[in-house]
Amino acid sequence: MRHRKTPFIFGFLVVPVVLYIFLVIWPYAQTFGYSLTDWPGAAPPRKFVGLDNYVALFKDSAFLSALQHNLLLLIVLPLVTILLALFFAFMLNVGGKSGTGGVQGVRGSAFYKVVFFFPQVLSVAILSMLFQGMYRTDKGGLLNGIVIALGLTDEQHPWDWTTNPTFGLWCVMAVLIWSSVGFYLVLFSAAMQSIPKDIYEAAMLDGAKRGTTFFKITLPLLWESIQTAWVYLAIVAMDAFALVSTMTPGSYYGGGPDHHSEIMATLLMRNFITFGKAGYACAMGVVIFFITLVLSVVSLRVSRRDKIEF
Amino acid sequence: MSTNTDATTGIPAQRASTADKPRKPGKEQRFADGGGVLNVFSHGFLALWAVLIIGPLVWIILGSFKNNKEIGDSAWSWPSHWGFGAFSRAWDKGIGDFFLNTLIVLAGSLTLTMLLGSMAAYVLARYEFRGNRIIFYFFVAGAMFPVYLALVPLFFMMKNLGTVIPWLGLNQYAGLILVYTAYSLPFTVFFLHSFFRSLPSAVHEAAMIDGCSHTRAFFQVMVPMAKSGLISVFIFNVLGQWNQYLLPLTLMQQKSSSDPDHSMLAQGLMNLAQQSGYASDFPGLFAGMTIAMLPVLVVYLSFQRQVQAGLTSATLK
Amino acid sequence: MGSATEYNRRDLFKRAAAITVLAAGGTSLLAACAGGSGSGDSASASPTLGGDNKNPFGVKATDKLDVVIFTGGYGDDYAKQFEESYKKAYAGAVVSHLGTQEISGKLQPRFNAGSPPDVFDNSGAQAMKADVLVGADQLTDLTVLLDAPYLDDPTKKIRDVLLPGTIEAGTINGKMYSLSYVYTVFGLWYSAKLFKDKGWAVPKTWDEFITLCGTIKAAGVSPFAHQGKYPYYANYVILSMIAKQGGQDLVKRLNACEAAAWDDPAVLKAVTAFYQIMEKDYLLPGTNGMTHTESQTAWCQGKAAFIPSGSWLENEMLAATPADFDMAFLPIPALAGDKLAATSLWAGAGEPFMVPSKAANKAGGLEFLRMMLTKESSSTFVKAANSLTVLKDGVNPDVQLKPGTKSSAAAIKAAEATFSFTLQELQTAADAEIQNATNELVNKRISPADWVARGKAATSKKV
Repeated sequence: MRHRKTPFIFGFLVVPVVLYIFLVIWPYAQTFGYSLTDWPGAAPPRKFVGLDNYVALFKDSAFLSALQHNLLLLIVLPLVTILLALFFAFMLNVGGKSGTGGVQGVRGSAFYKVVFFFPQVLSVAILSMLFQGMYRTDKGGLLNGIVIALGLTDEQHPWDWTTNPTFGLWCVMAVLIWSSVGFYLVLFSAAMQSIPKDIYEAAMLDGAKRGTTFFKITLPLLWESIQTAWVYLAIVAMDAFALVSTMTPGSYYGGGPDHHSEIMATLLMRNFITFGKAGYACAMGVVIFFITLVLSVVSLRVSRRDKIEF
Repeated sequence: MSTNTDATTGIPAQRASTADKPRKPGKEQRFADGGGVLNVFSHGFLALWAVLIIGPLVWIILGSFKNNKEIGDSAWSWPSHWGFGAFSRAWDKGIGDFFLNTLIVLAGSLTLTMLLGSMAAYVLARYEFRGNRIIFYFFVAGAMFPVYLALVPLFFMMKNLGTVIPWLGLNQYAGLILVYTAYSLPFTVFFLHSFFRSLPSAVHEAAMIDGCSHTRAFFQVMVPMAKSGLISVFIFNVLGQWNQYLLPLTLMQQKSSSDPDHSMLAQGLMNLAQQSGYASDFPGLFAGMTIAMLPVLVVYLSFQRQVQAGLTSATLK
Repeated sequence: MGSATEYNRRDLFKRAAAITVLAAGGTSLLAACAGGSGSGDSASASPTLGGDNKNPFGVKATDKLDVVIFTGGYGDDYAKQFEESYKKAYAGAVVSHLGTQEISGKLQPRFNAGSPPDVFDNSGAQAMKADVLVGADQLTDLTVLLDAPYLDDPTKKIRDVLLPGTIEAGTINGKMYSLSYVYTVFGLWYSAKLFKDKGWAVPKTWDEFITLCGTIKAAGVSPFAHQGKYPYYANYVILSMIAKQGGQDLVKRLNACEAAAWDDPAVLKAVTAFYQIMEKDYLLPGTNGMTHTESQTAWCQGKAAFIPSGSWLENEMLAATPADFDMAFLPIPALAGDKLAATSLWAGAGEPFMVPSKAANKAGGLEFLRMMLTKESSSTFVKAANSLTVLKDGVNPDVQLKPGTKSSAAAIKAAEATFSFTLQELQTAADAEIQNATNELVNKRISPADWVARGKAATSKKV
């Protein structure tokens, strides 16, 4: 090699790596340290407590139920979002009339793609305010306006949406799905468009039904995109903090009624800020970190498969 | 596993349509499938979802013209008079300044993110050296940790930085730009890493043989080749950084009463929501949401082709 | 490759943490940093009365005064007027004013940077935790203010002209660190006009209250609304009933998070009486999930007859209240067998003003507080904020009180006793559990007996 590589490698890496270590890694590392102390958050830690915070954590019933809620989110949110997005993407790309031109998408698919994607560009601050208006628990709320108009209930008995112990978390999940589907629709749609049309047409000439083509052709070829989507949605599901904390009842970071929509992030923030148990909260954060880490490693392993070349 | 009706209808719908098939006269059709039924079906669902997206947004915009009573009385109330009072109340809270602040920071942080991110990703993707994997996983791991746990140490670090280099401290555009950049690096590096890997090496090698330096080869050969990937990651970063909330809230705080207000848009919006709470001004709140939504809508609609193309290239690495 | 946006959104969810501050009563994130930097240097010694009678703290007009005011229900116009009088008294003084709702958001960094304001109003959802500030030596002991001469009558000291409970409200670890300026009463609110129009008599006892609720419901109005998303408003009613039934001693024991206090029969009796509202379906539809703004607006629109709140309500709802609404205050009606008189009510000093110990112009901050405690200033506040101050007899006769304020002032005058619960400020973890229980109760998911059991269990969270 005529060119000296080492100075170049060093020159390109030094700024990003230093910036990253200084502003991202170092603060996180401090958090790990704090999780072993009785740090009250407001003053320096008083003493080293070893793993006490972690022991207490696994005895905390609120934490365990929060963990369950996160796992529920982790399964349902990606599943529903991906299925809906796949369904819509399939409709948009292959769902149209099949005529002499072969397989095509429905008319207006460009319009649908634009509209469906839009929630993705809304700030989460807006999402929260918007859906608090939607879920308002009297007849002034849009959803109650709809169920009352449909005769499902009357003005005296509006539904309680996010304040219902059974459905509260699902209401929040619906918002996340509402805002995410469009993004994955566009993602899957792009992947589908990259599948040559002749594959479909050949298959259909061979007598394959359209549904069959979806399972036999589309799905396998999209597998990689789907797994990527799952990873990202899983990360969202591990968090969901902003919406849960603002939309569900409860005076300190929501999570109500009575912990029924509690997730790890709300519990963490409440302990951190309101109750001044910052060391404990840091331990919680470390646990969240390891759960996410394991999930990511597992999904990266699973998704490692041979690329299909066209 | 959950069974969500919305979701599961997706797949059975396909089956249903094919099950319908035999009843249809099939000889005219080139493909042995019921495109017509499917078509009605698809349009039905697609239209329904479109209504679910557009409905709430229109409802919010309508809300900014209603008064408190109309908003509380019924979801279906219609504004009795079309005035822009709520908009001017919301605008007076400084939404324009918040927009400007956000644009200033984003201009800097996006440039820096793209530059540093692509440099790091490129080196990690295409050069073998000791510690390569470690650095790469270091970047990837950063994407997994909840940001709010870094906030308190981060706050103190920025504060201390400000005592050494005043223009990098708290409530400084430059400081926030650096932080945004640092927190966008994990994803940017991760994404571009696989992108740079997928680029053919022949062109690069040819350039090197021609006597190109590594740096020139990167900026003049590889970057143009990676354009589509860079555009997609740029779009992702625009969306992500546009919506930052906790970081600016923590770091863009006035140090004294005479310090300029450098609030970002999302911060300003939540502040507006709070003030509307204290003043019981629902129309003002709705108007504030509308004001914050519309420019984004316009920008998105103008660039939606690029956004979608960016995503397309993302899947076609 | 996949999407980045989801990844980035994930971040912003976290970054949105402080959104919750608007929704919740929690202190802001950075309250967690309070005093982090203050640990090293010890608090400066308490100032002493160095100056003369006219200027006891030795204020220099050349020193800038930096004032930060919480712009919540009371706004900050009153403070601007105080600043004008300060400038008049100390000609040439430069006063900087910041009105904000993010008290800890704006002030936390300044405390940490060692450049706090000279005086600030520590209120609202994002107020800083006073005990934390004290622990980090960030606040000035206000004893010196208490011993300073009262401006309207220099023969008296400030401590002699404050309403009872004011000094206690600002006392932490035996020293007074904050001057709570507003005198707040907690109870039920109604529209006197609505009651007059409908011919409803204001109930004196809980039985009358329940009977009246029936009448009100029959007239097509919901009898009772509350701020269901934040259950502590409903607790104003429940806890007041417990206090009246069980007496001052029980209040003390409950405040101390004593588990056995919950076994007092007064607790169960009070909450059972309260539960009648739910049993008889007297709630405004949807109120269990409404925010304070939503429910109070509905109440102002005549959709509900009663709502619980503190006396900031009138000013908070000024824009939404019809001109002829005639807002009125009602102490929680008496239950049979009450230990406290029917007129007794939950009242206390709130809206704490503090002088940071590291303030550049501490004397100015103290003097500002002293100037707030004149009949003139107090009247200014009453006019601007429609609430009473802690200054005894602090309203000029020419001040026209708004109906709600007038009615709460009358209730204070008539009150035989006042009591005050401190759980919400001092026992946040236990209080959060009690709020959860109350939320279950108003939704009829638990019985009054369950509520008591959960309250008792909450005492294990005592700090």
